[in-house]
Parts: sequence; C-alpha cells; structure tokens
Amino acid sequence: MFSEPTMSLVNAVSFWFSTRVQRWLARNVPAVSIATLHRRNIFILPTSHGLLYVAATTLIFITAINYVLSLAFGLAFLMVSLFILCILHTFRNLQHLTVKGIGGDVVFAGEDASFTVLLQRQPERMHEALELKFPKGLITRADLIEGEQLRVNVYLPTQRRGVLKAPRLLVQTRFPLGLWRAWSMLDLSMRCLVYPTPVSCPLPTAVSNSGVGKGSSTQPGSDDFHGLRNYQLGDSLKQVAWKNLARGQGLKVKQFVDSSDDRFMLDWAMFAGLDAEARLSRLCYWVLKLARSDVDYGLNIPGVVISPGRGDVHRHRLLSALALWQQSQYVERLNPRPSKTGDAV
Amino acid sequence: MDVNYQIPRLALLWVLAALLLVILPGMLRLPPLILLLVLGCMGWRLLIFSGRANYPGKLVKALIVFTALPLTVLQFRSQGVGLDAAVCLLILGVVFKLLEMQYKRDIVIVIVLAYVLTMIGFIYSQTIPSGVHALLAVAVITGALVSLNRDNARNNFRDNSRLAAQLVLQSVPLTLALFILVPRIAPLWTMPLPVPSNKTGVTDEMTPGDISSLGRSAELAFRVSFDGEAPSHDRLYWRGLVLDFFDGRTWRRGGSALLDYGMIRRYPSEYRGVRQGEPVDYDVIMEPTQQTWVYGMQLAEVTTGEIVQDRNYSLHSATPITQRLRYQLRSWSAFQTDLELPRALRSRALQMPDEDSNTRSALLARELRAASTDDRDYVARVLRHYREQPFFYTLNPPLLGEASIDEFLFQTREGFCEHYAGSFVYLMRAVGIPARVVVGYHGGEYNPFEDYTMVYQYNAHAWAEVWFEGEGWVRFDPTGAVAPERISQGVEAVFANQPGFMEDSGFSMMRFRDTQWLNTLRLRLDAIDYAWNRWVVSYDQDLQLEFLEDVFGEKARSSLLWALGLSTALIFSIAAFFLLRGGQRQLRDPVTRSYLALAVDLAVMGLPRRRGEGPLDYCARVSAERPELAAAMQTVTRLYVQLCYGEQGVGSEELRQEFRVTLQTLRLRVLSRARRAGLVAVSAFSRPQ
Repeated sequence: MFSEPTMSLVNAVSFWFSTRVQRWLARNVPAVSIATLHRRNIFILPTSHGLLYVAATTLIFITAINYVLSLAFGLAFLMVSLFILCILHTFRNLQHLTVKGIGGDVVFAGEDASFTVLLQRQPERMHEALELKFPKGLITRADLIEGEQLRVNVYLPTQRRGVLKAPRLLVQTRFPLGLWRAWSMLDLSMRCLVYPTPVSCPLPTAVSNSGVGKGSSTQPGSDDFHGLRNYQLGDSLKQVAWKNLARGQGLKVKQFVDSSDDRFMLDWAMFAGLDAEARLSRLCYWVLKLARSDVDYGLNIPGVVISPGRGDVHRHRLLSALALWQQSQYVERLNPRPSKTGDAV
Repeated sequence: MDVNYQIPRLALLWVLAALLLVILPGMLRLPPLILLLVLGCMGWRLLIFSGRANYPGKLVKALIVFTALPLTVLQFRSQGVGLDAAVCLLILGVVFKLLEMQYKRDIVIVIVLAYVLTMIGFIYSQTIPSGVHALLAVAVITGALVSLNRDNARNNFRDNSRLAAQLVLQSVPLTLALFILVPRIAPLWTMPLPVPSNKTGVTDEMTPGDISSLGRSAELAFRVSFDGEAPSHDRLYWRGLVLDFFDGRTWRRGGSALLDYGMIRRYPSEYRGVRQGEPVDYDVIMEPTQQTWVYGMQLAEVTTGEIVQDRNYSLHSATPITQRLRYQLRSWSAFQTDLELPRALRSRALQMPDEDSNTRSALLARELRAASTDDRDYVARVLRHYREQPFFYTLNPPLLGEASIDEFLFQTREGFCEHYAGSFVYLMRAVGIPARVVVGYHGGEYNPFEDYTMVYQYNAHAWAEVWFEGEGWVRFDPTGAVAPERISQGVEAVFANQPGFMEDSGFSMMRFRDTQWLNTLRLRLDAIDYAWNRWVVSYDQDLQLEFLEDVFGEKARSSLLWALGLSTALIFSIAAFFLLRGGQRQLRDPVTRSYLALAVDLAVMGLPRRRGEGPLDYCARVSAERPELAAAMQTVTRLYVQLCYGEQGVGSEELRQEFRVTLQTLRLRVLSRARRAGLVAVSAFSRPQ
C-alpha cells in the first residue's frame, strides 16, 4: 500500500511518538509498587460508542432546530448533560483505587506469565467493570464491590527466558455507560523469572536406558568408561569410538560415568552441536525430569556449577541458573526465592 | 471485536423494554401490518433470548426486509414520502437490527437509535405527558447502557434502575441551564411536516350551520395573556378572516387569498389604519389548526412572531400552523381603517349573488332604507328589526334552503351568529352600503391561576363590518341585538343548558363547571398546561431574550454566551465536588507510615528494604550489616510488629508513644550517619511512597 520510504517514515514517526509517550509517562506516572489512582495519573477520552452517542445527540439537536421542537432541544441537552456527567462517573470509578504490584510467578518461556496485582478500595467507593491488561496481553476483568481488596492475576505472554520486567499495566474502565474510557498506565516495577522453554529430548547417555528411577549408580560423566551405545545426532565427535568404527562395528559412542555414583551432573557438553538456547531448553527439560525422579542432580554450564542436590529450592536454583545464563546483570537483583514473593508489609 | 461476546441477558431485557417504551406512543400511527411485524420481531428476539428460537438465517433476514420495504411503501403510498413513512422505516430498521444484534456494537447502535426514536415522539406531541414519557424513556435507555457495561452481582434490576435514575436526575441541572441559555437558532432548512389532523376551528367559508357546529366543541382554540388588565368581555372580538364574497348561500373570501396575502408587504403606511387610544399588549398561544390565519383584536400590530397582516387587517402565519404557535400583538381599542375605500375593495364589499332569490329581503332593505335619514340610521333600524321581531338565538337552528336569507329573516327566525351576521351584511349590501362578514372568536374564559384567557371552539363567532364615509370600517354585531348576554357574558351563559352545546367533547371536565371544586381543578390543570406551553414548548429566541433581560438586564444579548459558559462550568464543578470528593485518606495508619520512612532512610545508607522482605528479616539484615544500629532497630521492629499484628498491641497508646520515640531517635541517628558519609544532602529527605 505504501512505498518503502513512506513506511519507514511512518515507523519512525510512531517510534518517535511512542518514545515520547513512554518518556512522558516515566516522568509523570513514575514507577512505584503501589499506586493510588487520582487526577494526575488517570486519563479519560470518549470511546467509539461515545462518539456514536454524540452523533445521535447531534442528529436530535439538528432536528430540534429544523422542526422547532423545544422538547427535542431539551432531550438533546439532557443527552449532552448525561455525556458530560458520565466523565465524572467514569473517572470516579477509577479514582482512589489503589493498585499494588505483588509480583509474578515463575513461568516457562512461551507460556503466559501471571502477575498478581492487589486492588484495594476506599470503604465508600466501589469500582466496577475494571479491566487490567498488559500491552499484548489478555484482559482481566475485575469488580471491587464487596471486599476491601481483591487479588487478580494479569497475564502476559512470554517469549524468551530471563528476567521479564512487566511493562506498564493498563487499568481501565468504561463504567457506567461505556461512553468514556478512563485509564491509567502504571509501572508497578513487577518482574518475574522466565525459565527456558523445556524441549524434550533423550539424554545422550546410557542413563535413560538404565533407568534413573531405580537409583542406578550410572550417571553420565567424564571420569570412567562405562560402555558403548549407538551414535545419536548431537553426540560429541570426541566421544565416538573410532576404533570400533574402524572394525566395522558401526558408529558407536563411548559412554563415561562419574565416579561419584549416586549423583548426576547435567552438563553443557551433553548437547554438543546445538546452539546455546537449544541446549538450555534441553537442560531445562532434564532438570524438570530429574526433579521428579529420586536422584540428586547438579548442573555444569559455562560459568555456573551447581553441585548435585534435590528439592524444590534446588530445582529453582538450577532453573534460575538456566534462565539467567549470561544475563548476569539480573542475577544480583533477583530475589532467589522459589515461591511467590510475599506481601511487602 | 470480541467474537465470543455474549450480550448480558439482563441488558437485552433492558433494551427490549426501552424500545417498547419508546415505540409505544407512536404505535397507533403505524399501519397495523407494520405494527404486527414490529411486535413479531421483538417477540422473536425474546424467543432467541430464552433459547427457544435461533437467530434468523441470511435467507430469512432478506425475506423479512424485502417484504417489509414494499409493505411500507404500499402503506404510505397515499401520503407520499412523508415523515410518517420515514419514522416507520426507522422503527423497522431498529427492530431488524434487534434480530441480528450479537455484538456489543450492534446493541449500542440499537440503544442510540432508541434515543433518536424518543425525539421522534416530540414531532407529534409536546405535551406534559409526552415530556414525562421521554424522561422515563431516557432513564430506561440509560439503564440499558448501564446493564450492558456492568457484568457483576450488581447487574440486577434494582441497582441498574437506581444508577440510571441517579444519572438522569444528576443531569437535570445542567440540562436546565443548557435549555435556558443555549442560543436558539432559526431552522436551517424547511422540513416535511406531519400529516395534518382534522382539527381546524373556524374555516374560510361560512355556510349557515358551520359556526354553530363549532359550538359543540369544547376544544381549546387559543390562549391569551394580557400585559396588564384584560379588556372587558364585550370587547374581546378575536378577529380572524374577512369573508366578503356571497354566492347566495355561502360566504367566502373575495378576491384571491393569495392576492390578499401577497399584498401584505407592499402597503403604504396610510392603509395601516389610524391608531388611537391606549394600546394593549398581549401574547397568544394558538393550538394547531393546519390553517395559516391567526387571531387578534382589531386593530393589531404584530410585535413578535412570524405573523404578517393582510389588506383586510387579518393576521397570517407564513406556514400552516401544525404545532402550537406563540405570537405577540399590540392592539388599539380606538382606530380608523380605510378612510378612503379603494374601488376594488368597494366593489368587493358591495358584491351580491349573481342569481339572487332573496327577493323579500332585498325589498325589506329598500323599505327600511327609504324610512331612514342616513346610512347610520338605516343600520340602527335593521338592528331594531332583529330586536323587535321574534328572532331566537339558538345553537340548533333549522336547516335552510336555497333562499337562505329570506327563509331566515321571514320564516325560521332561529339562528346562530352566522345567520345574523350573514343576513345583516346582505341587508347592507342590498341598499349599496359596503359591508362584510368577519369570522373569529368572541369572549373567552379567564383563568385566575395563571392570569390568562382561554378561548374555546365554542367561542367561535361571526359579526359584520360596515363602511361609512369619513369613519371607515365599523364593527356591528347583530347577534348582540338578539342576545345581548352573548356579548356581555359569553356563549356559556346563554347555552349552558341547551342541548348540543359542547356535545362533541364527550366526557369533558367542562360539563362540570358548576361544581366548584371540579371547576377549580379544571382551571388549575389548564393553567399548568398553559405555563408549560408558554415557557417550555414555545421557548424560543424571543422568549429567551425576554427571560434573560428580566434576569440580567439590558446586556442579556451580549452576556448570553458568558452566562452559558459560566453556569455550565459551575454546575460541572459542583457535580465534580460531590462526586469526587473524599476518599483521599491515607491508606496506611501512621505507624506503618513512619516505619516506611525509616526504611527509606536506611535505603540511603545502602540498606533498602527488599521487595517482599518482612520486618523481621529486614531487621536481621540491618542488624548484621550495621551492628551499631542493631539494638535500636530490634526495639523498633518489635514494637512495630506488636502494634500492627500483636493482640494487645493494636490501639495501645503507650506502645505507640514508645514506638514513636525510639523510631524518631533511630531515624535521627541514621540520618546523621548518612550525612556524615556524604550520602545525603540535608534537605533530601524523601517521603515514602
């Protein structure tokens, strides 16, 4: 429809505009963990339904003029007054609502991250037909009419592992007449940890054959020679039994196990030949799988070595390590607790 | 658009109720077939709602539309493409939309059209009941919008109607301000008008029996309010049309009405008449007649309103009066008109029927004239003839044949005012005195509650004007010669007990005028209706200015927009104050606030409280990092936890005091340390968020 340069101009303008908006928001609606909605952070504009209503009012007004209908003037003015009054009512429906970012649950990349938000109201105010949503996320509807507060989850699709900083949360309402939309864009500085997407795959060792669940002593490692198995795609060429190949016994791979028998180290090198993200995904799958079995497991990836252990906390450590691999800027800041973060005060 | 959107079930009921309410008053105007179709569609929608029917398929929809359209055209063919047909199509459009509405946008369109349909009702009727109906309709439509936008436990009948009523009532003050202050604009273009009703009042023809038939009607013709005192009853001649063409049976307007009308603007001022005496100002609100002529007292000058005067001093509106019309006049009690009678008018005032069979009357006229000294004396003799011969004034005169004047004057001698006026003018013309019949109303009933006079159809009257050299046109009422009380007290006094009087009005409150309290009630109700019409329905540019001048003085015109802006802003601010006030209370108690302030101070020293870190954990960390603060920190934390969560701690003033003191000391220490370390400027003491 548009030529290439036009499109890039449009993009440039929209980019410039959105950066300006973001900057303005950052300055005027700064990041906080608790926000009470008030005059300065609520915006309000008519909806498309509101414009339809205005069109009808105009039609009535013009008819009133042309037929000289005093009462039709009255009707048009009543509609105008309703429209204006509706600004106040819609605004009021958000005003004094307190939104508190509680935090996000850990999630695997590709799933929807769930951020928990606590809505609180003043005793004499009710907030109906609220909509909460992240840009590109799903709408969560909420009504705060009975209890003093309400926990709601707002979902946001995730794409890649790491720390996901929640974008500004849109809190909006069209109540009571749907003619106006009042909204606020809140940066509640919520974060959540996104584990890599687990990708199922066979473990390139004999471990899977010998049965992890039986508490077998064999664990893939590099210390002792354990036996041979058929070559699978992705096996390191270093481990190929070249002598056996030369004897015409087919392509076999030498298997090694650690001397420490009851422990199992997941190793970066196990998925040789894949790129880093693919390796992390597979490692993630195996962490989950091993966590369900009855073995101690550890992790050895470049820069991070976690000695074997078990339990939820241990699992979370491993998964976080995978999530944050080479994203060191976040490691320090992240609170490494596996469960939902509790309320602050 | 949300494809899986489900219209809230209750919202649908609200919309149906609103539509029914809006269409209700117009239902009788719809042709029966169309009405059937409309109700059928609404019923179908109800069935869909209750799950007993499906949405119509494409074929069915097409079928409905292609039967409905020709049907409508057929029904309204005789009336042409008028307003009724347009309204019918609009209603059909809305109910068809009702059948296929599934998305939120569809339902909003239906709701918005319901507002428009509410307005349509006003084209037909602007009475108090229709105003109340419209207000109710707006409330229900608003309720439908509320129900549509609410999806919780409060989406029930009670809460929705309460909120809708609240919204509408809160809008009333602003509505009133806008109604009074928004400048009224003249119509932008002319619009097709509703099909006329058959109410006409006095017509431009007078055959014996015409006016007496109006005596059977107690319908209101117009209402008049005088500035100052009302003239006495015998002077209340509401002059309508001049009928100067007689064909032997019927009086009509001579010349062409168009000519009279077209000449209006070109009169030299001497034709406007000589005005004498004290003028009286008054204000008329006329009921619709579908005719163009209106009524006023001779000699009238139009002060406001779209009214013009023709060559015969009759008053006309530019367009047929299809709605109540308000205009203001100034009349002079003493006047002289047409001191010089132009030849054309003179011959019209002397015209006699071509085939005149009223020979006896002509003979009588000549006899009387021969006995008189001059024209004035002749008139007096004719009037004396009516008075002395056995003439009767009756509402039920016998029917007259071909020679109507002869039959009346010599045989029946019973007649209503048209008989007397007609025969009187005939007798004048028979001897060459210019004369003409005037039709209009006479008298009226005074309503003390709003200080105005009501003129009814039964007040219809006919009288005569005779032209004398040097005097111009002079009014004579031969009816007064027969029934003087008709002129002094009114037709009600004469005919109260005569059969036929107000007969066509059915069960009218007018029949109970002798019962004191019922009569008072009737007058009061009419007073309310009058005030409504005068101040609401006929509120226009002139009335607006008049009203504003009363309030703001001379500068009203220039200050209108200011007044509009200011009052709108004021009302909006008041509403905002009441709706948005309060609530800005601090969410946290003072204890928590000061504890958080401490955390902020500590953050400056590099010990921020982490997200989700409880007070005890935080205390442990601070103690470990800054052993010198440990003791104080632990006390503060212990007190804080006690105050917030402890059983006896909450609300204990002693603990609170202790907490305040320790906390204050601790904060001072923290701050001084931070300052010494150069971490904070003296004033940089941020509040906790």
